[in-house]
Amino acid sequence: MRRLRGPIGPVLLAAAVSFSGTRELGAQEPDQGSVPVYHDWRTFTVADGLPSDKAMAVRVDGDRVWVGTDHGLAVYEEGRWRSYGIEDGLAHDVVLSIDVHPETGDVWIGTLGGLNRWSAGRWETFDQLNSGLANDVVYGVAAEGDYVWAATAAGASRFNVRTGEWTIFDEKNTAMHEPWTYGVHAAGGMVYIAAWGGGVLEYEVAAARWRDYRDPDGEMEIDLFPHDGLVHDVTTSVSYEGGVLWAATYFGLSRYDGARWRGYFDHDSPLASNFINFVRARGPVAWICTDQGLNAFDGNTWVTYQRDSLGAGAMEIQHGDASVRRRSATAIAHNYVLGVDFQDETVWVATAQGVSRGVAFWESVNLVGR
Amino acid sequence: MRPRWVAVILAVAAVVILTPGFYFSRRHVRFMSGNESAGLNCMPCHLYLQQGGLLSRLGERDYLSPLHLAVSPDGTRLYVTAEEADALLVVDATEGTVLRRIAVGRQPHSVALHPNGGTAYVSNRWSNSVSVVDLASGAVVDALNVGAGPAGLAATPDGASLYVANAMSDDISIVDLARGQERRRLSAGRSPQSVGLTPDGESAFITSRYTNGVPHRTTPITEVTVVSAGTERVSRRALLRSAHDIEGIDFTPAGDLAVVTLVRPKNLLPATQVGRGWMLTFGIGVIEPGPGGRVVQLLLDEVNAFFADPFDVVIGAQGRHAFVTHSGADVVSVIDLDAVRELIEATPAERLADFADHLGLSARYVVTRIPTGANPKGLALSPDGRRLYVAERLEDRIAVIDTEALEVVGTIELGGPSPNRIRRGARLFHRADHTFQGQFSCRSCHPEGHHDALTYDLEPDGLGLNVVNNLSLRGLAYTAPYKWTGKNASLYRQCGFRFAKWLTRTEPYTLDELYSLVAYILSLSHGPNRYRPASGELTAAQERGKTLFERERTSEGRPIPSENRCITCHPPPRFTNFQLADVGSGGPLDTQGEFDTPHLDNLYGQAPYLHDGRAATLEEIWTKFGGDDRHGVVNDLTKAQLNDLIEYLKTLGGEPADEERSGR
Repeated sequence: MRRLRGPIGPVLLAAAVSFSGTRELGAQEPDQGSVPVYHDWRTFTVADGLPSDKAMAVRVDGDRVWVGTDHGLAVYEEGRWRSYGIEDGLAHDVVLSIDVHPETGDVWIGTLGGLNRWSAGRWETFDQLNSGLANDVVYGVAAEGDYVWAATAAGASRFNVRTGEWTIFDEKNTAMHEPWTYGVHAAGGMVYIAAWGGGVLEYEVAAARWRDYRDPDGEMEIDLFPHDGLVHDVTTSVSYEGGVLWAATYFGLSRYDGARWRGYFDHDSPLASNFINFVRARGPVAWICTDQGLNAFDGNTWVTYQRDSLGAGAMEIQHGDASVRRRSATAIAHNYVLGVDFQDETVWVATAQGVSRGVAFWESVNLVGR
Repeated sequence: MRPRWVAVILAVAAVVILTPGFYFSRRHVRFMSGNESAGLNCMPCHLYLQQGGLLSRLGERDYLSPLHLAVSPDGTRLYVTAEEADALLVVDATEGTVLRRIAVGRQPHSVALHPNGGTAYVSNRWSNSVSVVDLASGAVVDALNVGAGPAGLAATPDGASLYVANAMSDDISIVDLARGQERRRLSAGRSPQSVGLTPDGESAFITSRYTNGVPHRTTPITEVTVVSAGTERVSRRALLRSAHDIEGIDFTPAGDLAVVTLVRPKNLLPATQVGRGWMLTFGIGVIEPGPGGRVVQLLLDEVNAFFADPFDVVIGAQGRHAFVTHSGADVVSVIDLDAVRELIEATPAERLADFADHLGLSARYVVTRIPTGANPKGLALSPDGRRLYVAERLEDRIAVIDTEALEVVGTIELGGPSPNRIRRGARLFHRADHTFQGQFSCRSCHPEGHHDALTYDLEPDGLGLNVVNNLSLRGLAYTAPYKWTGKNASLYRQCGFRFAKWLTRTEPYTLDELYSLVAYILSLSHGPNRYRPASGELTAAQERGKTLFERERTSEGRPIPSENRCITCHPPPRFTNFQLADVGSGGPLDTQGEFDTPHLDNLYGQAPYLHDGRAATLEEIWTKFGGDDRHGVVNDLTKAQLNDLIEYLKTLGGEPADEERSGR
């Protein structure tokens, strides 16, 4: 038996611990080798002030939390929600994606009707009629440096906020063979685009160089040869952190560390479902939003969060062949998870029936070897 | 041959030659100018219009045009930006003499001093840079890259950072002064102009000239952008409704109020309202700096007298008086801030908005008006607050005002030459005394000869018909005819007698004044085009756009009719064919479908677009309003191709920009 303890504040599970037999994992300070564990959840819904229970995206902005729903945008600040709709300047009621520029604090919002910039209360809309945006359906958005990237239904758009220049990347000028882009992530001078049916595209900003990652098995729904590359070309989301690329598909999860690919599926790992809506990495840990629950995974240790039929929380921690299952009185709002983000050591989760906030706990957890 | 016969022959020859010559000359002038009775002669077109020609160059003079100024911490020196001399002038404030002329970048706008008083920072609008001047040696020791068209600037009290308002790129640069590098770029309002720091240094307030994006034919809403010094992010956007052209800003020493200058355009009303004082009004905005603080607009005009084009504001050392330059009325208004506070506090919140249009209030807080020389612009107080220095831009002079006596007690001549015709025209352009009750100057709607991003109902053809987009006056030479209807064959007609009848409602310019005014307008230039590199080499996207602009066949290979090609109506070098054209852009409120084909110089800085300003962006010209392919064939273009075309259009006109400092 192993014993896990979560620290006050951030509740962390040491993940990079080698395991043999039964052993206690001590409480850890946050570090690059830890998988966070949460099992105290608070859920926010329309009753709390959200414009809709169906939360499509969540993004933390310092003390604020932005939530995109299918009926408007909401921001949580100083303990209360405030909603924005078309009447305020939102391009469309359905908000699909949100990003916050790390330097300016401008909030970029992808909707079904174009891209918004919210800047200290000022709304601007960029759509396919009034700007160079490729398409009004903006599935993903990422802001870094001089550029804002939008993953749209007709290719990826890049907007230079200094010059106002728009550039479209699609099947005509990249390796993308379909122009549908579902996710975009920009970090450290690299941009990754999840192209539906086209795998993952990598763009090195300084060199203006494209590279694509494809499934060696083509569009087969099974992975013929494990760990030979991306698990599927139908990618939905992508995240890049600390030199590790995480790619979400509707057929499993891929991890690429620059040298080796690894594929993960619900039949051979604790992945809650192969149907992955969104992935976001924080440090070495990827948070995977599926239609059957939420996973956190750093390459070694898995933590799975689900809501059972009675509304209670079901959490499983697995490290190697050891695991522990726990139940809790609170759970994520729904197992259909669409987004995740972090506010210091608090996690925010967007689900089909509300937004959940995971908070710290303090107790010991025992891992039992199988 | 006897001399008498020679004289007779010469006289007959003169009659034979000169009579038809005079007749044909008059016909030529009338045809070219469109003026039937103005009595124009050859000189305007063959001298003043020939900008850069030999005769024009002979008449050119090197004016200084002081715009903004700063005072040294010990009060002994003035540092003055000389806009037209590309220089910073160092002036002995005691002796009233110019000590040094330091060459900086092109079109210097503002000057800010480092708190230690040893370094001056000068924004260079046409160089997209900030010159760093070591005041001890008088040497320019660095040039900081910032955004496009840097205007106002301010150094933080700790000397660590410099805030710069980039008027052409609509953003704010925060420069790390220790490293000499821009650290952050923040989105501002449209065409930010001035930077004011709160007395505690916690926030920077940045004014804007143009309205934020608002729906077509709705009132302008212009912002003052507030940046938190702690986070270096925009923390607030204070909105001034139905106002624009917010230029100067200053804070009370206690920091409880910020005062900005503003203009309230009545552009949604027909210009027939001029007689009622409803064309433009001028005033100040009083902003409570804290989060959610009130914004109150107050007019500085009177019921029958207007004080056009407020430009800069300075609040006295005791916080009792605010001083405002009216660059179109040649006065400084002195405002009693205690009276302003009392007025605001005594008024219910729901009635404060009424003050914005109340012409009868100014007597309660305007203490006096101090006359100045032509075109008073920037203001600066001496450290003890006893002297107020005023940059009299079109006098090349500094006025000195005693802040207790509230009168001009001296002037400092900077050494500019006497006015030539263009300079006289500049004074006419900037002064509002040629409009009814001084309601507006040419500059009021054309700041710096540019545009004001508004649409107007100017035509005396019925309320709401034929709304027009106000265009820039820069780069107009050789682009006749004028007006969107193309009715005016020359600026002499455009600005002549009829203009006084239907718009300015007072005496028209004399012929000599008209010559001068037109000479000045034709001298206006856009300056460098930041999308046009000096090398002339276009980017890949611009090259693709050029090909589309010049194409004769659609993407499918079908020939494009000549009249539907971009290049047909917009050929170089002016990118206009000087003709009227009906490209399907007429709307339900237009009484004609044909409009003058505009030139495309520096198009990128002139939104909105089309004759009535319906198109908020270049894209909208074709995506929303060009669907029938009459305004160029575009329906075969992909979105990426339209983006390329627009990137090319941005490169047209203006001077090439210095590649090292393109303002990007």
